[in-house]
Amino acid sequence: MAEALLRKYRPTASNPWDYAKAAHLLSRAGFGGRPEEIERLVGLGSEGAVEELLNYDRVAETLPSLDFTEVRQALEDAFRARQARADEPTLRALQNKINRLYREKFQETREWWMTQLVQTGRPLQEKMVLFWHGLLVSGFPETRNPEFLYGQNQLFRRMALGNFKELILAISRDPAMLDYLDNNSNRKGRPNENYARELLELFTMGIGNYTETDIKEAARAFTGWTHRFGEFTFVRAQHDEGMKTFLGKTGNFDGTDIINIIFEHPATARWLPRKLFEYFAYLRPEDALIEDLGNTFRRVTFEVKPVVQAILQSEAFYSPAAMRTQVKSPVQLVVGTARALAAPASMVRGLVLAADQMGMVLLYPPNVGGWPKGEGWITTSTVLDRYNFGSLMTSARMPGVPNRFLQSIGTFPVTSLVPASAQTAGAIVDSLVRRLLPGVTLEQKRVFALWRAVGASRAAEPVQPSPERVRSAVRLIMSIPEFQLT
Amino acid sequence: MSRQGMTRREFVKKGLTMVAVGATAPSFLTRTALAMNNPWDVAQVTSRPGVPDENVLVVVQLGGGNDGLNTVVPFTDEAYYRARPTLAVPAKDVIRVTDTLGLHPNLGKVKGLYDKGAMAVIQGVGYPNPSRSHFKSMEIWQTADPEGRVVRFGWVGRYFDSKCPVCEQPTVGVNVGPSLPLALKAESGNGVTLETPESFQWVPSMDGIGAQEQMELFRLLNAPAPNEPGMIDFLRHTAMNAVVSSERVREAVGKYKGGVQYPNSRFGSSLRLVAQMIAGNLPTKVYYAHMTGFDTHASQRGAHENLLREMAEGVDAFYRDLEAQGNAERVLVLAFSEFGRRVAENGSAGTDHGTAAPMFVFGRKIKGGLYGQQPSLTDLTDGDLRHAIDFRSVYATVLDKWLGADPAKILGSNFERVAFI
Repeated sequence: MAEALLRKYRPTASNPWDYAKAAHLLSRAGFGGRPEEIERLVGLGSEGAVEELLNYDRVAETLPSLDFTEVRQALEDAFRARQARADEPTLRALQNKINRLYREKFQETREWWMTQLVQTGRPLQEKMVLFWHGLLVSGFPETRNPEFLYGQNQLFRRMALGNFKELILAISRDPAMLDYLDNNSNRKGRPNENYARELLELFTMGIGNYTETDIKEAARAFTGWTHRFGEFTFVRAQHDEGMKTFLGKTGNFDGTDIINIIFEHPATARWLPRKLFEYFAYLRPEDALIEDLGNTFRRVTFEVKPVVQAILQSEAFYSPAAMRTQVKSPVQLVVGTARALAAPASMVRGLVLAADQMGMVLLYPPNVGGWPKGEGWITTSTVLDRYNFGSLMTSARMPGVPNRFLQSIGTFPVTSLVPASAQTAGAIVDSLVRRLLPGVTLEQKRVFALWRAVGASRAAEPVQPSPERVRSAVRLIMSIPEFQLT
Repeated sequence: MSRQGMTRREFVKKGLTMVAVGATAPSFLTRTALAMNNPWDVAQVTSRPGVPDENVLVVVQLGGGNDGLNTVVPFTDEAYYRARPTLAVPAKDVIRVTDTLGLHPNLGKVKGLYDKGAMAVIQGVGYPNPSRSHFKSMEIWQTADPEGRVVRFGWVGRYFDSKCPVCEQPTVGVNVGPSLPLALKAESGNGVTLETPESFQWVPSMDGIGAQEQMELFRLLNAPAPNEPGMIDFLRHTAMNAVVSSERVREAVGKYKGGVQYPNSRFGSSLRLVAQMIAGNLPTKVYYAHMTGFDTHASQRGAHENLLREMAEGVDAFYRDLEAQGNAERVLVLAFSEFGRRVAENGSAGTDHGTAAPMFVFGRKIKGGLYGQQPSLTDLTDGDLRHAIDFRSVYATVLDKWLGADPAKILGSNFERVAFI
């Protein structure tokens, strides 16, 4: 069964590689795109399309870097003032400046990332950055310095499809994570269990594979792992050099040893493949399928790329259980919409705020467990936020988002959305559905409502695709259940 | 005319038109339409004598694991001061409630409720074989299922699925916060979540074919149809619940007069919104509000103190508001956290995940005071407290004596009641 599911998808006459499947791939392995981008993937064939997405390092990196000089300077000024025993008002003024810069830079970092999500020529890389941010969670306010969150974001980008074991070692030494889960104050004698617990429970193994004693022993092994001004430091004087017993092994372990032992455990080989499969394909996959992916993962010594490749090329990935069954995360929704509508860079701020409103505040996840998934994204509140996102895209307004933040964001270019050849209600609606709901066939009564939205009552009725009419139809297409799924 | 301000005919006009095709209306909506004629109509429930149908429960979730020992302080216990060299609350600072126990000084605002007999502290609440995972333990508290029977619906949701006053209404449960807690998840799908009334509505766009026409097309596009895929059906169901509830929530909130000053905190705003909905007589049995940030592994002191103040100020303002409305007797507040914290502090001036902790109940009609017993600080299991009372006993008490439901049906067993009601 699992073998069949993980078997490579091969197009046949009855199950062809077509626009719907290419759109599915581009949406899951990225954030979707314009119809011509989907058509291009159709032309590459199923294997070629996956390979192009996977081997994104062939595409030039376009990411500008963010400058944190001002924050660093303010931190240094405050540090020197404290050393010089400056008076209370001086120290308070310096701290206020730091707080203000933190706020500004935090927002700037979020918009920087959103810009990258919308504009990247390497969609799978950004898709993986978003995946890692949701799995190896750090965020505001526990991590207060936005430069650390930026640095972690870049780490995820560098190691996006790299080696999972190396990434776990890197994240264990990452300043944002050291702050977020308090390992920065995990010291010999009275260890802090926060990082050790979540490393086992959420990052590598899952509950049920270790004991409370294993957590306490692992915490001892990570004592003394901290950072100074954003640089990882091992403070030997704070490290517990005693013997520890962890998952049945005994020795004078440090954090690296703990990670080595974790990666010898069979549960670890299955943990990440399950998370990846659920992210790309569908929730609650068959156990046998995950067992197979786990075997692959172990064989390739925890390289992520071959596992992602196996998933994206599998029969299971194109099966009815996968196609159009995933609830878009808010970031998937806003980025996908921006890409499909070729939204200008000025809209990025609006996209960030819209995703916030729908419950996905980038760099500020609800807790260490990361984001909701599937139905968890949908409540009576967020379903209206999602439907109202159409208003933000078409008229730069959205209930819950103050207008003053949206004043200069503009809207997407309407005139280029519909081809000049589309001169009837039917043709206009078809072209919008093909763009916004690729691979979806709407019921006739829904299509009828969309004809009315462009000012007609039947398909053949000649209609000028005026900006108002196109916006009306876009607004409505964005307010239906089908648009929430991919 | 019902006190909800909407007759059946109005509802059919406003709400059911979005269904457009009556034959395919899901049963929950037709049931809703009938129930809305008089939401508090006792004819649709099996009322329990002595349990008013207008009773409302407000669940307050203290997310992250509240440090019970620094909330209700055993200020004469040397073991407490030994275990907490930097974090212990000095005996001289506590607000004494007995010779050995005191509230954290920042709970001053609720001491008034305690003195009036309107606050109960249930000590040492937990469950057997406690999980120290946030996610597992929260799931256990929300489903009332420590045995791991994989319960898909919440303990409050299962109450909605029983026959209860206004249980047929989508607004029978209202969560104020970003995501629906598992506790409120019901098989019937009833229960709504919202953050602010302002964003809780669908708005037509400003240009194009006009708002009225767009609203009409919105309804056509969202009308349910038979045999749709599960996720599409779920989305339509949720969107309809939202549209139906949205107008009623905003109408209810619009009746609120205000006048009571709430603390400037997220929790304060949540409770004010709950008070607004209670004032507007929304047909709701259970409200759910959240505080987060109790996971104090490091530098606990300031953070935890602020949280306790925020909680106390919020609850105090809420009850003053309810008194002013004349609704104080209708409302019971139940506050819980997924676990308490380790007895001994760690080296980060914080505390790691623990087990048993106190729960709090507020209400004008309860019997205030202390219940259960303070767990020993020296007779520990793996450094953690042993529980004295199973949290399901507290749920059973509330379900039975406050909501008039049968706890055995909802919790699977008939847990001993606690005498606070």
